[in-house]
Amino acid sequence: MTAGTIEVDRLSKRFGSVTAVDDLSFTVRPGRVTGFLGPNGAGKSTTMRIILGLDAPTAGRAVVGGRRYDGLIRPLREVGSLLDATALHAGRTARAHLQAVARSNGIPRSRVEEVLRLTGLDGVAGRRAGGFSLGMKQRLGIAAAMLGDPPVLMFDEPVNGLDPEGIHWIRGFFRELAAAGRTVLVSSHLMSEMAQTADHLVIIGRGRLLADTSTQELIDSSARHDVLLRSPRAAELAGLIAARGGTATPQPDGALVVTGLDAAATGELAAAHGIALHALVPRQASLEDVYLDITGDSTDYRAALS
Amino acid sequence: MTVPSLATRALDLIATEWIKLRSVRSTYWALLVTVVTPIAVASLVAFAFASAPHAAGQQAAPPPDPLLPELLSLEYAVIAVSVLGVLAFSGEYSTGLIRVTFTAAPRRRAVLAAKAAVLAAVMLVVGEAVAFASFGLTQAVLAGHGDGVSLGHPGVPGAVLCTGLLLAVCALLGLALGAIVRHTAGGIAATIAVIVIPGIVALLPSPWSGRIGRFTLLEAARQVSALHPATNLFAPAWSLLIVLAWPAVALAVAAVLITRRDA
Repeated sequence: MTAGTIEVDRLSKRFGSVTAVDDLSFTVRPGRVTGFLGPNGAGKSTTMRIILGLDAPTAGRAVVGGRRYDGLIRPLREVGSLLDATALHAGRTARAHLQAVARSNGIPRSRVEEVLRLTGLDGVAGRRAGGFSLGMKQRLGIAAAMLGDPPVLMFDEPVNGLDPEGIHWIRGFFRELAAAGRTVLVSSHLMSEMAQTADHLVIIGRGRLLADTSTQELIDSSARHDVLLRSPRAAELAGLIAARGGTATPQPDGALVVTGLDAAATGELAAAHGIALHALVPRQASLEDVYLDITGDSTDYRAALS
Repeated sequence: MTVPSLATRALDLIATEWIKLRSVRSTYWALLVTVVTPIAVASLVAFAFASAPHAAGQQAAPPPDPLLPELLSLEYAVIAVSVLGVLAFSGEYSTGLIRVTFTAAPRRRAVLAAKAAVLAAVMLVVGEAVAFASFGLTQAVLAGHGDGVSLGHPGVPGAVLCTGLLLAVCALLGLALGAIVRHTAGGIAATIAVIVIPGIVALLPSPWSGRIGRFTLLEAARQVSALHPATNLFAPAWSLLIVLAWPAVALAVAAVLITRRDA
């Protein structure tokens, strides 16, 4: 079943001696928001440009709904995309911009007015785009992406420049699109942004796939599960933990960080030996931590996660 | 969804380019310069032609071609229309809008063709209007001095029509070079260089100025637009082919490069 999916298959792109995308494969499925994450320069935009037929891959291929983008007859009716919100003629009004884009795919003018209302731009449609804030340009770009009412949507860093109200709006908007069964791929270099929006994450670094996983699985997969405890008899407890197969690492402030035993087992152990606990805190790495770990050294984590 | 016909898709792309062209102010500035400059210059040149021999108080020199003032004046509009042509692509490349255009229409040569069609149509109408207006004006001035020709004179209507072609030709040349160079300043420089710099060959010694000069755009255009074509250049029919070959070759190069390069 390929309808509505984006498939990237062993994709590579080299610019001279620089490898921007390196043997990258992943599939984006309908009905959920997929976050496309990676540090700046990881190859996200290049991958999106290749999917959209703008850049030619050095090797491999990318297809949307099983077909190459440049073979689509009315592409905006099948894939909506926003790569760069500032890609506008400063002197053209928002409405004229959308009318030009719409007409190229045989989309009626009434739809232009619909997407202007959808993105809250109907009040400024007659103004020149050059005077728009970055947030308004993002909305205009999203309006253009929605023109063809497409089943597949791709947004490159759409949150940049949005104010808090705009960010709230766009998160809800992406989730609505996914809930309606659409395929939604949203790139970002910030995990914090994606953590609240994306159900699934594709993380790349230096053009290579680092993780292709659900957001929850990614948290669970983290090696950084531990328990922080404080006790007046910390040294004694550390010995007991070691005897049970756990590892207790003393901290400079006298606390212990326990791995290999969970909070319950550690608490039971202390109780069984009559050792008082002043603190027992199960800790889990945040998505942000996991993301930094993964992208911090791509090659190590490629091995660690597979 | 039924697949729309090729004609429908072509018309949609042409309509898109038409919306783009008429929705920015630079188009109207360029057209204003394109219309006003030649008409002003034509009148001045005509006055100069008409009055020069008398002012010098000499026997009248052999009269210059009565259609020359009109062509000379149009050559001043060439820069404005070339810029308009260059901007059609370079403007989109410099803003990144070209990616919006190519994602909406992945068949890039169709986009090139649509831009060319819209620009050529507009420039043909404007060019012919300006050519006939300049003709009327210059002949009115020259007629006052007994040097004018009428539109009914054999060879005149064709020459004036061909003069009007020059704007469309230069706009298309600019369009192609804008698509090739992809930067506004570079595209304008390249277009002006291609149109104007070959004029240097006119400074070559006698047989060579003609032998090479007959291939240059502006020399060929003068030959096509003249009532009395020069004898050291190609005949007007061949010269017309050369005039048309310049944008045709440039557009062919653009068509090859546009699909080969990343956008």
